[in-house]
Amino acid sequence: MNAIFKVNETFRNDFTFCNSPAAIRRFPLPFAEDEYMYSVNIEPHLPGPQGSVSEFAFDVDEHYVAECHEREIVLANEPLRFQALPHMMSAQWDCLELIMESLARDYPKHFSLSKRNNHWQWSNGPLNMEQRFTFGDAATLPRPPLDYITRQAQGDFVVMDQREGNLWCEAGMVTTQADWSLDFDMGMTFKEWHGPVPLAHEMGVFDRAIKFLLNLRLGQPVRRLNWTMTVNPRLDTSPENYPHWGPDRASVNAANAGDLVHLRVELQGLWRLPRSNAVVFGIRCYLISLRELATIPKWARRVHRVLKKLHPALVDYKGLTRYREPAIAWLAPFDDGSPTTPGTSPE
Amino acid sequence: MLITGIKSKPIYTPLSFDASGRYHILLGAGVGANPLLRVLAEMKKTVPQSMIHARVLFKNASAIEATAGNVSESELAFRAVETVELRVFNNVASLLADFHILATGSLMGTRLYVAGPESFIGLAMQIALQFNLNQDEIRAEECGSLARRVFCIHCRAITDEVVTNIVKCACQRWLLVRDHYSRRLAAYMGVMADAEAPGELPEMREVFR
Amino acid sequence: MSAQTITVEITSIAQVTPLIKHFRLKATTGGYLPAFSGGSHIIVVMRGQKRIHRNPYSLLSSPNRLEHYEIAVRRMDESRGGSHFLHDVVKIGDQLEIAHPVNLFGLEKQARKHILIAGGIGITPFLAQLEDLRCGEVPYELHYSVRSHEHAAFLQHLGTREATRVSMYYDNEGATLNFEELLAKQPLGTHVYVCGPAGMITRVIDTARSYGWPNSHVHWEQFNAPPVGDAFDVFLARSKISVHVVPDQSLLECIEAAGVEVPYLCRGGVCGFCHTRVLELDGELLHHDHYLSANERTTGKSIMPCVSRAKAKRLVLDL
Ligand code: FES
Repeated sequence: MNAIFKVNETFRNDFTFCNSPAAIRRFPLPFAEDEYMYSVNIEPHLPGPQGSVSEFAFDVDEHYVAECHEREIVLANEPLRFQALPHMMSAQWDCLELIMESLARDYPKHFSLSKRNNHWQWSNGPLNMEQRFTFGDAATLPRPPLDYITRQAQGDFVVMDQREGNLWCEAGMVTTQADWSLDFDMGMTFKEWHGPVPLAHEMGVFDRAIKFLLNLRLGQPVRRLNWTMTVNPRLDTSPENYPHWGPDRASVNAANAGDLVHLRVELQGLWRLPRSNAVVFGIRCYLISLRELATIPKWARRVHRVLKKLHPALVDYKGLTRYREPAIAWLAPFDDGSPTTPGTSPE
Repeated sequence: MLITGIKSKPIYTPLSFDASGRYHILLGAGVGANPLLRVLAEMKKTVPQSMIHARVLFKNASAIEATAGNVSESELAFRAVETVELRVFNNVASLLADFHILATGSLMGTRLYVAGPESFIGLAMQIALQFNLNQDEIRAEECGSLARRVFCIHCRAITDEVVTNIVKCACQRWLLVRDHYSRRLAAYMGVMADAEAPGELPEMREVFR
Repeated sequence: MSAQTITVEITSIAQVTPLIKHFRLKATTGGYLPAFSGGSHIIVVMRGQKRIHRNPYSLLSSPNRLEHYEIAVRRMDESRGGSHFLHDVVKIGDQLEIAHPVNLFGLEKQARKHILIAGGIGITPFLAQLEDLRCGEVPYELHYSVRSHEHAAFLQHLGTREATRVSMYYDNEGATLNFEELLAKQPLGTHVYVCGPAGMITRVIDTARSYGWPNSHVHWEQFNAPPVGDAFDVFLARSKISVHVVPDQSLLECIEAAGVEVPYLCRGGVCGFCHTRVLELDGELLHHDHYLSANERTTGKSIMPCVSRAKAKRLVLDL
């Protein structure tokens, strides 16, 4: 990663977040066609093309430092956005190891990890942090292991225990979510946790997903993309704070939609964890305004068409009811009706 | 946002006796006594007779009382079964405290049967969870009031006995009650009803009777 | 399964009982092997002269020591299979390939008590699990049954640390494990785990059931070595090829040898991963797995090719 960290960018109040042209071009557009419906779109999380968001296990981009600051702000007000049930301690260490090893391996300029038996030394350049600790001994870290490491990572993390032929959501750090609550969903099975998702249950999406995930293997992570939309580049659209961000939805009109409405894409990665046999679900959020999106003509046409044809149940679930029309109106001038090439590439 | 039809809403099925168990714990509140008596009747037909502990709420000062069935008759019916050790309570808290003690001394092979309003089932399940009772050891039948326990996602307060689609929380917000249910909290999610357009509230209706 | 494998080198071999050899493996690239949880197994790929063996073995070494993995291999009576390869062919310094560990026999993290029951070589997964249990606060007991003192492999591994937690039962001394006594009076939230000979597993399952234990609290693992049997032929409908299954190789092995991949995790009839649909059958399926329900067996629509065979004039699989 050669990008310079945009350390002062904000995701609340004055919303100074924006994407550089390079960040726009690497944006993970989730629409390979001009229409969208659920599918079990799980693929192996293998290294993608150089510079792409899937080049490495965990993508670190120009928003890294700012996103970590944003997480600190959320946690200062709402410590319960991190939670872990007592039996998840070994899974917490597994996550810490996975994230530290990946970052140190993939971004050696910014992160380093050295180990002598259980004595580990971690350094995080962008956040200017150094830590010596004993792996497995939580007393040697300033915070619980999952809390500690996910404050230094972009995206949310949910850790699921596997038992009774099911996965149970029992630890997590969730501050950049699309309207779901870790506090409320703790202890739920994978299916209960996804209970509020319409249509997909009836389509058998979760039955197939769970079967797949129960057999997820060590060293063979998988990923998928999911999406929704958000007004303003706000990472924390939690139900807890809905009173703060709910009114945003009513503020969109055809004139300001280009700047206010953001496509919100989640790069979801799933890893089997070695010591705990748990599964960690990483949910990394990427935001892009319609105006930024429209700098890529193909994407403007495609998103315009996807929004126009979107199933009503999904419009409601994704919370687009109040501002889908203005968003479509804003994008319309960019859609001359010409065909789009298949796939998600910018050209 | 999905309000109804959410898949985390528990599905309850009518109680039936589980002959694979060795010991049986029956918990009931109000009209929940009736399904438990049905279990006892089924059990009588199977030999050998198993040891049964019944903990039943017949009278209390909270609204659950309103759903109480014919007290004396059901109590007599329980007493008529010799293998039943019956204790009667008049409030949920002391019934659950007694269940906790009972579970502490219970053995593998125990089956738990719970019958009553969902809020009662939820609280009993919280304790069952502490004892690592799994799905195959627990049966529950919902009967009586459909009133809900509602967890405010904004202030974490719990409002009991909610019978309407929207409810005013201690934090003064109007909450919309969703079907999303947490076993850990034994409550449904309440989320601010007029966040997007202040004052724009759905009509209040009694939906959980 | 297209899992990448890890190349390991055998660094020590020890005969620990008349029938069991103990192997220590390290990564040929040096450094640590992947972390794992107690109860995990690895698939060891052995390239014999005539054929490839792929056998599952539980990891018995400590999950906290990843410089090496340790496995124990019991010599099987039948003349086929990887156990003879490991007992008679390989030497220190030889290289083998292994797949990443998979855990189908993990401890329940919310249990309030664990009871581990081992028979003979079945001690292996528990040795790794004890490392985790020792550090935790949940009470546990190990009941270990063997033929005689000389068959008590790994007793020294347990050492004195476990003295109060371990009960030994030596067959030749007439000390037998009383399953009824053990399972009759356990507190709520207890989980029982058994690994050992088929008879022992069945006894534990049956006894637990008779005392009302629900399935979710009873855990067992037994890797069936693929049984030998008569030769038969099978047609793979999607690949459009016929495969001849020889007596001393499994259906899965023969399908793989023909170049067709079937997903698997355990190769022992446990995980259900190799589940294959039977499209046509004129004859009888010989099920040896622990996965299919009685009902699924009778319908004859499914087979687990890692351990099961057929006695059939015609068998067509959806592969
Ligand atoms: S591979 Fe596990 S059952 Fe066949």
